[in-house]
Amino acid sequence: MKKSMLGVIDATMLPGEMGDLALYRSPAAIPFAGRYRLIDFVLSNMVNSGVQSVAIFPRSPYRSLMDHLGSGKDWDLNRKRDGLFFFPSPTKEGQLDRMSEHLDYFHRSDQKYVIVSNCTTVANMDFAPVLDRFIKQNCDVLEVTHKGESTYIYLLSLELLLDLIDQRNETGYESVRAAVEDASSSLIKCQYEFEGFLQRIKTVDDYYQTSMQLLEKDKWSELFNEFQPIYTKVKDEPPTNYLAGSHVTNAMIANGCIISGEVNHSIVFRGVAIGKNSTIKDSIVMQKSKIGENCVLEHVIIDKDVSVQDGAILRGTPEKPLVIKKGSVESAVTSS
Amino acid sequence: MAKQKCVAMLLAGGKGSRLKELTENLAKPAVPFGGKYRIIDFPLSNCANSGIHTVGVLTQYQPLVLNSYIGIGSAWDLDRKNGGVTVLPPYSESSEVKWYSGTASAIYQNLNYIKQYDPEYVLILSGDHIYKMNYDTMLDYHIEKQADVTISVIEVPWEEASRFGIMNTDADFNVTRFDEKPEKPESNLASMGIYIFKWSVLQRYLEMDESNPDSSNDFGKDVIPAMLADNLKLIAYPFKGYWKDVGTVKSLWEANMDLLDEKQDLNLFEYSWRIYSVNPNQPPQIIGSKAKVQHSLVNEGCIIDGVIEQSVMFQGVEVEEEAVLKECVVMPNARIGRGSYIERAIVMGDLEIPENTVIRNDSNDILLVTEQFLMEHTEQQSKVEEA
Repeated sequence: MKKSMLGVIDATMLPGEMGDLALYRSPAAIPFAGRYRLIDFVLSNMVNSGVQSVAIFPRSPYRSLMDHLGSGKDWDLNRKRDGLFFFPSPTKEGQLDRMSEHLDYFHRSDQKYVIVSNCTTVANMDFAPVLDRFIKQNCDVLEVTHKGESTYIYLLSLELLLDLIDQRNETGYESVRAAVEDASSSLIKCQYEFEGFLQRIKTVDDYYQTSMQLLEKDKWSELFNEFQPIYTKVKDEPPTNYLAGSHVTNAMIANGCIISGEVNHSIVFRGVAIGKNSTIKDSIVMQKSKIGENCVLEHVIIDKDVSVQDGAILRGTPEKPLVIKKGSVESAVTSS
Repeated sequence: MAKQKCVAMLLAGGKGSRLKELTENLAKPAVPFGGKYRIIDFPLSNCANSGIHTVGVLTQYQPLVLNSYIGIGSAWDLDRKNGGVTVLPPYSESSEVKWYSGTASAIYQNLNYIKQYDPEYVLILSGDHIYKMNYDTMLDYHIEKQADVTISVIEVPWEEASRFGIMNTDADFNVTRFDEKPEKPESNLASMGIYIFKWSVLQRYLEMDESNPDSSNDFGKDVIPAMLADNLKLIAYPFKGYWKDVGTVKSLWEANMDLLDEKQDLNLFEYSWRIYSVNPNQPPQIIGSKAKVQHSLVNEGCIIDGVIEQSVMFQGVEVEEEAVLKECVVMPNARIGRGSYIERAIVMGDLEIPENTVIRNDSNDILLVTEQFLMEHTEQQSKVEEA
């Protein structure tokens, strides 16, 4: 029963209001929560729900997404049969159009049902009860909702998906979503209300607010539990080293960091260094970035591989956090 | 099987009885170390980083955890089509089950494993030590010196030399004598238990050793002395850097504390010589609003709300509010209850320390906090309170 679902992740979302965070990468590959990428959540949810075949439809630039997913090994998707599939369609725009280029995959699969999901929903969701509801209510297509609003995660039969692809020109539907949202269609539509923590990340503000929410223990524990772990690409970072004189409170810290300074109400990714007498508050520092000595960071999102040099002061506001682009160098002079 | 220039044989059957309850259900090489590793991660990572991709791991004592930990070796990038990691447990022959009676007999019983790779050299390692070493450099030295055997040695403090197997050498590092734990050491070059043999020589001497009924089948006690007696070319390879035998509760604790000492030469953060391990896949650590973390190593999955100073926390450890840990090593998934105080101790994994437990340590020794220890400790406390 559980093995009867295929997973489709539509990672063609345009950067839109993700700004500099999606400058060099697909929104699916935006680093999140200290050691993950946004796609890890929906991908892990599928795997934890027994899905063994996942198709990812990316949009360029997808180098960083491919690099992250690799063979799918870290999600246990490096299988002889089924596994992880990557289906770029450089010339097509619509979701069903893109799928039509990879019909072989759908024809070859013997799963009966398909989950079609976006790539930036942060939640820890079991799809098994979703499938139960789908079968019990004899739905054609089921929409997962949260607080009454669509999460743009759908469940339908593979047969219907193939029909939608096949008839896309007659119906004019570009995507599964379009079919569901067409009030005049004759499809039996059901809903499944997801009760747990769920946020869809569409803007820099969503990204920042959702990240900060994870510093609240109840939210954090709704997302992370030992029974349905969120998988991600394995790095071999050592445990984080808190040097004498460091002061860390109310923070989420990944491995491989060396911390001398002060960190408060912030998220620090893998392999970050924070120098002496630096203060990091209400901020997010992504992997491998280096914060020098005597720096002040408040309401800042530091992307990967950024070097913040000694004495730099960077401040955003809670409403408009300052985003520092991947790989940039921030000196004390440019920032003051 | 394609030919391999050098095959490594890693002796991982050690019981490590001086590690007490830590090795009750666990072989010594599987003992956790450094917040996320097991001891065996060090030799396995050294092999991978040295470009030695064919490693036989000889297991015997309590192999369950060790076997499942090693798996097919993918954590160390040693899952190879040709070679890779092979776990080699003792096996039964038609007549009898042959346990590994000594280090030499363990290798002897697996000669067929080595033969299938037709190597020129065999590297013998043990799974008992914490160190980073490039075995390929040692192999170059072995080849350059045209030695039959190269033995890696390290200078130890003279006052400790009688605890080790000591190599006496001439000025060119030719080994002239080997003394196992000498009362009056004449050299302070200790054997690190790392040998490179010419495969042909090793094979011959292992066969001779096996047929000698008086032999204890040990490299240090039997094979090396026999080779010396036959005037083979044995040469010492002087190693500089961090190396520690973590055979006792105290030395295991010390090695963990060495990770916090910037003066020590054991850097886990060195990118070019990563120590690999099986990833527990846990979320980032959470440091609470009342926490104080000083001079400590903390792994993924920890939730710290209390005070930790000079300590090493393995994955999934929880330290509740107002709990204080000083100079402690806390093994995976232990929980330290609110208001507790523990100093100079190793806390066993999965242990629940009840609220307000106070464990002081005025001795020179390191406490091993186990369920048994906690029971006795609680009894003692209540007796003190009654009095």
